[in-house]
Amino acid sequence: MSLTRPIRRVGSVFIDASYEIGGAARLLVRIFRRLVPPDLDIPELRRCLLRMGYRSLSIMIATAFVVGIILVIQAFVFVDRYGLRSQLGWGAGFTTIRELGPVLLALMFSGRVGAYTAAELGTMEVTEQVDGLRCLAIDPISYLVVPRFVAMVISLVALTIIGNTVALLSASVMGDIMMDVDQHTFWSNLFAMLTPWDYATSIIKAALFGAIIAVTSCHYGLTTTGGAPGVGRSVNNAVVSSAVAIFVVDYLSTFVMG
Amino acid sequence: MINLVNIHRTFDGEKALDGLTLFVPRGTLMGIIGPGGCGKSTLCKVACGLIRPDIGAVVVDGVDLVRADRKKLLDVQRNCGVQFQNDALFEHMTVLANVEYPLRRLTDLGLGEVRARAMERVAMVGLSGFEDRYPNSLSGGQRRRVALARACVTDPLILICDDPTAGLDPVTSRRILDMIAGIRYQTGNTVIVVSSDVPGLLSVCERTALMWSGRIIEEGIPADFMRSERDEVKRFLDDARLPFGGNG
Ligand SMILES: Nc1ncnc2c1ncn2[C@@H]1O[C@H](COP(=O)(O)OP(=O)(O)OP(=O)(O)O)[C@@H](O)[C@H]1O
Ligand SMILES: [Mg+2]
Repeated sequence: MSLTRPIRRVGSVFIDASYEIGGAARLLVRIFRRLVPPDLDIPELRRCLLRMGYRSLSIMIATAFVVGIILVIQAFVFVDRYGLRSQLGWGAGFTTIRELGPVLLALMFSGRVGAYTAAELGTMEVTEQVDGLRCLAIDPISYLVVPRFVAMVISLVALTIIGNTVALLSASVMGDIMMDVDQHTFWSNLFAMLTPWDYATSIIKAALFGAIIAVTSCHYGLTTTGGAPGVGRSVNNAVVSSAVAIFVVDYLSTFVMG
Repeated sequence: MINLVNIHRTFDGEKALDGLTLFVPRGTLMGIIGPGGCGKSTLCKVACGLIRPDIGAVVVDGVDLVRADRKKLLDVQRNCGVQFQNDALFEHMTVLANVEYPLRRLTDLGLGEVRARAMERVAMVGLSGFEDRYPNSLSGGQRRRVALARACVTDPLILICDDPTAGLDPVTSRRILDMIAGIRYQTGNTVIVVSSDVPGLLSVCERTALMWSGRIIEEGIPADFMRSERDEVKRFLDDARLPFGGNG
């Protein structure tokens, strides 16, 4: 009895997880079915882009700015000890563009936009607004989910490009201040060493993370039950699951994309 | 016409509908009564294809909703007006915009006509002057009336009202039920009304069904209904304090 209990617990966690992953995968299939040929609500897409992309700009820039500074502070020890000042641009660029930028900005985006979306759709679900849409012959996937999916992917890619730039700018300024790496050395080293594939990796990751955040938040939002407390649970689940999924996919994609 | 045959539906292992069978002929005002949690709201959603039954057949105007694909289902739902128990108002739209929305989505009326019809329905539920308010500034009863106005504004072939009188004072409650009956007589459409105002409902509907733990246990015209010998019916009508012989 006491021996089987932990096993059963682990088992039920796996069953729950596969249930949710299955649901999210089904939602993803439905989204793709409506993307070819495109069947989505354009005004809603425009509203989502404005809210998710444009309104997140300031917080994302602030995050990126701090990331650049922290990067240089952390790198200082190694750069100083091994006399690698000339390589700072490459080091900062490689880490930011390939890894830190996409992941940290995606987590920030998930906390802001993913959580909001799960709460919004969850509230609509428990107050029967989603059923209300169906009765107006409006397909909730085309009207609510697809615009959010497209908007999140586009926004996160754009924000990641902007964020990477800001992080590198702040890193270069910090490098100048902390370890006398002048701007020219920093940027020429960065542009000489980074390959186009590095930039592509960043964009591919951002798009993947955007899709993950969109699918998890919409899935948890639309499957909300149990009134206002249920909405809270959905938001929590959405944020935790997208963070886990981001780390897993980041690991796999870093592995695959070399 | 709505035909529900032997519908079973469970939620998380708990039976919400348990062998429900109900036939609503075209153009009938069907009143549904029953104790809380017996499955009335679930019935309403099954009847318009929002909930798929585990077992059973749902045929609405000749279309089998269980087998229909997404297009067909949306076509049926286009002709269903549903007032949900939780109102389902779009919170980011004003009262008037909420009521106009079905007309704008489902009909090709001009803007002026849309506005006029929406204003008329808002007035009909007694909310003139509230057109520019947002739903979150209304009382529960007012929200319900906006939801009702929105459900019936297109004169849908099938109108389903899930407790339009909940939380209303007796006078307004009767007015709302009379209004629904009025819509039914004007349009000749099929209407299903769930209400906890039992005397009021029995006085306006053409047929009444009593639901009890997931199935219909008695169905008939209100006069027969009140003379029913079944224990549950008597008990329920007693509890609803129906003055026998009155109102009907
Ligand atoms: N989405 C759901 N998830 C889980 N259980 C549900 C769900 N919807 C309904 N139920 C259960 O099904 C049963 C019937 O619910 P329903 O809402 O149809 O009752 P009702 O007759 O409308 O009650 P009321 O008069 O209080 O509105 C209840 O026991 C309820 O707990
Ligand atoms: Mg109910």
